[in-house]
Amino acid sequence: MDENNNPKAGKAGGLDDYLWDRSGPVDPEIQKIEVLLKEFRHDSPEPVFPEIVAQPRKLFSQFRISWFPVLGAAAAALLILCATVLLLQNGRSNDEKAGWNISTVAGTARIGTSILNGHSASGRLDVGQTLETGDQSHASLNAEGVGLIEMDADTRLRLLAMGKDRQRVALDRGTIHAHIWAPPGQFVVDTPSAVTVDLGCAYTLKVDDSGAGIVRTSLGWVGFKLNGREAFIPAGAACATRPKIGPGTPYFENAPAKFRAALARFDFTDAGPQQRFADLAIILAQARAHDALTLWHLLSRVDADQRGLVYDKLEQLATPPMDVTKDGILRLDQPMLDSWWNSLGFDDISVWRHWEHSWSETSK
Amino acid sequence: MVSSPGDRGGLFAAGLDLIVSDPSANQAAEDAEIIQAARNGDRSAFGHLYERYARMVHGVLLTKVPFADVDDLVHDTFVKALRGLSGLRENGRFGPWLAAIARNLANDHYRRSVPETQLDDESMAAQGGSFPGPDMSAAGVFDAIRRLPEAYREPLILRLVEGMTGPEIAARTGLTPGSVRVNLHRGMQQLRARLKLPPAAEKESCDEGNK
Repeated sequence: MDENNNPKAGKAGGLDDYLWDRSGPVDPEIQKIEVLLKEFRHDSPEPVFPEIVAQPRKLFSQFRISWFPVLGAAAAALLILCATVLLLQNGRSNDEKAGWNISTVAGTARIGTSILNGHSASGRLDVGQTLETGDQSHASLNAEGVGLIEMDADTRLRLLAMGKDRQRVALDRGTIHAHIWAPPGQFVVDTPSAVTVDLGCAYTLKVDDSGAGIVRTSLGWVGFKLNGREAFIPAGAACATRPKIGPGTPYFENAPAKFRAALARFDFTDAGPQQRFADLAIILAQARAHDALTLWHLLSRVDADQRGLVYDKLEQLATPPMDVTKDGILRLDQPMLDSWWNSLGFDDISVWRHWEHSWSETSK
Repeated sequence: MVSSPGDRGGLFAAGLDLIVSDPSANQAAEDAEIIQAARNGDRSAFGHLYERYARMVHGVLLTKVPFADVDDLVHDTFVKALRGLSGLRENGRFGPWLAAIARNLANDHYRRSVPETQLDDESMAAQGGSFPGPDMSAAGVFDAIRRLPEAYREPLILRLVEGMTGPEIAARTGLTPGSVRVNLHRGMQQLRARLKLPPAAEKESCDEGNK
């Protein structure tokens, strides 16, 4: 049996058996807590899901009860035929035709040649269209079931797709603040230097005129990817990205200044192997427990002969789970890397592993 | 096997209800069959998913959402999941996907409730630092768990509140048993310290097995 799937994988000498699976001697304190907390336990019966289950029945019963006149049915069929032809001509599905509502505009914004301002408050961004804010304007967009995007000044955003399972925009330049409540993995932002995938809730994404960007996550977590290089950015962390290089290494913004400076050089400056090693030494020396985030990413970014150094420091900061070995990490065993990530407490990496193969790289 | 729409007993007749007693065995394959049935409109299949995962969703939400709001969000989580089932590429990953939806909704609920405050480990730890003292009432213990670092909150709530075992938590959330066990152990250590309970009788740490 694969150790990762073995329920006994975390077992060590019968320790905490009661906490783990209620086997072994009862721990009286844990049992007391269990009894105390029962009042918070889920005990609701299965609710009715009218939005889901009622619709087909209602439709079915209408067909049974009603007897459509022949002319009515013919008219309906004709309408459906016309609608289908129109859809085919446009080359779009209904989903793709959906868009984002522009709920507020401060100053002046533009969709193509159409000007929006505070007085004409509402508008709509459809698939294929581009919304641009001026140098002193802001705009706010929302889509039911997806989320809210706030655009800062001098920002250019294109709506690429608006499907049922995938909403995709491109941020060419400027700054957006995204608050997403669609299921993780559905909202994707292309930038010139990385693809940003919402895996949680709220983040700010900034792209400058060179195409370089930075994402700052305030709730949940975000995935960043380009050319197979990936980064996971949990709440409180940030990650820069550069054209042709892709995402740098994520870091917590309250990390020491020396740590952040060394990391920036390590990620994006080609100053030779000696400088790279010197920067890695600074990063490892300055790392705090919270910076396990950064060190975990570095495992797969440093040269093979430096990986052991990163492992040793990360092990000090965050003890790996039982199913992780040093040998496995040194050869970048993916299940072990994932298991260690999951034990860091940021979020479950399987969410990313499940979806990442379905995203193409940037649209550029 | 896929039962017909409205056939409440279809999946149960297949014996899938017995699987709950062995959550780690063939969990992914069973989920795949149930989800396929739900996609085909089998209401009993969706009911079965609810029975199987409601405690997990409830526990995930409890880590961040006030108790009074949790039931509504459990409902919202399942509605979102059902609407998004067609986007689920691997049916066997339903549990982690559902947990992520619940965490997302919990985060959003928190953001709407307390827009100016960031819920992260550091702020929670800071609150934990000023924890006034052991309160062994249900609310007090529950509050103490919610002040633990995020990595420990969820497994402890699933274990101590929802009554799931460690293997069940791993099977439902998709985390490895090793990760769940480590986080339960470390979280319980911190909870004991905050509640000023005596440490566990055995002094060994499961972390030592890594060395």
